[in-house]
Amino acid sequence: MNNKKPVLLTIYTTLFFLYIFVPIILIFIFAWNSGEGYSFPLKGFTWQWFAEFFNDQLAKKAIVNSLIIAVSSATISTVLAFFLSLGLLRGRIRRSGIFLTLLLLPILMPSLTIGISALVFFRTVNIPLGIPIVIVSHVSISMSYVFIIFLGRIESLPLSFQEASIDLGASWLASIKDTVFPVLVPAVVAGWLFAFMISWNEFIVTYFLVGNNLTLPVYIFSQLRFGISPKVNVISVLITLFALSMLAVFLVSRKIYDRLLSGERM
Amino acid sequence: MSIVRSKNTNLIYPGLLWFFIFFLLPLSVIFIYAVTARTPGSGEPVKITFENFLVIFQKKHYLIILLRSLKISLLTTVFSIIFSYPVAFFLAKRTRFDKVLIVVLMIPFWINYLIRTFAWKLILSENGVLNQLLLWLKFIDEPLRILYSQTSVLLGLIYTYTPMMVLPLYASLLRIDDSLMEASMDLGASRARAFFDVTFKLSLTGIFAGTLLVFIPSLGSFAIPAILGGTDSVMIGNIIENQFGKVGDWNLGSAFTIALALLSIALVLFYSRLFGLESIYKNRDVT
Repeated sequence: MNNKKPVLLTIYTTLFFLYIFVPIILIFIFAWNSGEGYSFPLKGFTWQWFAEFFNDQLAKKAIVNSLIIAVSSATISTVLAFFLSLGLLRGRIRRSGIFLTLLLLPILMPSLTIGISALVFFRTVNIPLGIPIVIVSHVSISMSYVFIIFLGRIESLPLSFQEASIDLGASWLASIKDTVFPVLVPAVVAGWLFAFMISWNEFIVTYFLVGNNLTLPVYIFSQLRFGISPKVNVISVLITLFALSMLAVFLVSRKIYDRLLSGERM
Repeated sequence: MSIVRSKNTNLIYPGLLWFFIFFLLPLSVIFIYAVTARTPGSGEPVKITFENFLVIFQKKHYLIILLRSLKISLLTTVFSIIFSYPVAFFLAKRTRFDKVLIVVLMIPFWINYLIRTFAWKLILSENGVLNQLLLWLKFIDEPLRILYSQTSVLLGLIYTYTPMMVLPLYASLLRIDDSLMEASMDLGASRARAFFDVTFKLSLTGIFAGTLLVFIPSLGSFAIPAILGGTDSVMIGNIIENQFGKVGDWNLGSAFTIALALLSIALVLFYSRLFGLESIYKNRDVT
């Protein structure tokens, strides 16, 4: 349309990106600032807060718990979502629209309602609070997200793949293992990573279900509620770097997948 | 060959079972709590009542908090639309680097929102970065007290959820054919008129999808008001949390939770009537 350079829009967008990222950068800066306060001018460079963080046994425990929860819930929800999407899209379900809408609910409802209902449910049936039920509830949330990731991929995978392999003598199980699964590996990786990050960052549901245990977000929340120390900055820096590397893995795996696809078409 | 199809169909059961037991069943359980009265003694029969819902509207304290939560979430949504529309437009229509920039914009999603909220605590506190900057620039004489107020909660929510608005907006703008706007201008519409009648109206899908992704979590938020808010910024989420603490009333808390759930389901249904839910899948695919 017009070839005029959109000066105002460019400036605005730049400001918007600054607005999104400056707060995060500030956290980084204060992680290495000596002195308790959070004000400029900076007082000096220090690794003190990192040392303090690494000596914090509670924080270590929280990290371990978070990892256990994230790995197990991501694995369960990837498996369930894989089956679910294959069954719904390549099975014989007449009114799959209803299921799709239902499965969107965990994404579109406030996680508070999910957390509270899980809390009440597990207390009512007398299952004690703790890490196992946190894992279970994280699966209920992340399954929907992973399911959506699979939907897109399975739509582009014709049923004839599976049919052909069965015609050639494979069992039904083998047809899934050897023809469907390999094509979907990138989606499995992406879905797993996504589910991992959802669980890793999840706070509200965890907060209600975790009982006396700690996860990293719950630990951060407790630190933030009762005054703040630069230790929180250190955690934030480490988590952010971790999140960024996960994002990088996520993007690279998607790139590889796209390469593979375009390679197949050539 | 329908044998494959019918065998594949069985694959839905593990996931579906999980979904029913660990998602729908718990929801039904709190629904039961919400419509029954508390029975302190064991002998009393459970009574079905709408008392718990009525309390929300009858007690002035609760009503105020309910209305405040709606107000704050609505403001969050409106501001996020205003803030992100130009950005989404720029990304969709005015730059070749949109793919990269969208990825950059995804970064905040991957960083824990508690940390992003913490950043605002640093910025807004009395001797925080913002006050220092304003004092240094001589815009103000004494530090503003923004932290622990409704304003700081609003700022925190807007900051946290605005990226959620950009993505669906961008996706909807991307789908609009530029020639439509050109055509309307050829037919005599002014630039502004062409924009509002064509581009803006066609991007309403994105605005509504973004509204779901911003309004619903804002309404149900409790960590952000707990960290950034004060006594005048308690939201529904904080009341709900209290009801399930040490001295809470589970029935009342469940009624609040169900109200919140119903409100969000109503919004989702309203949206799917208008546009169909597929558009949400499609939007999600951008991320």
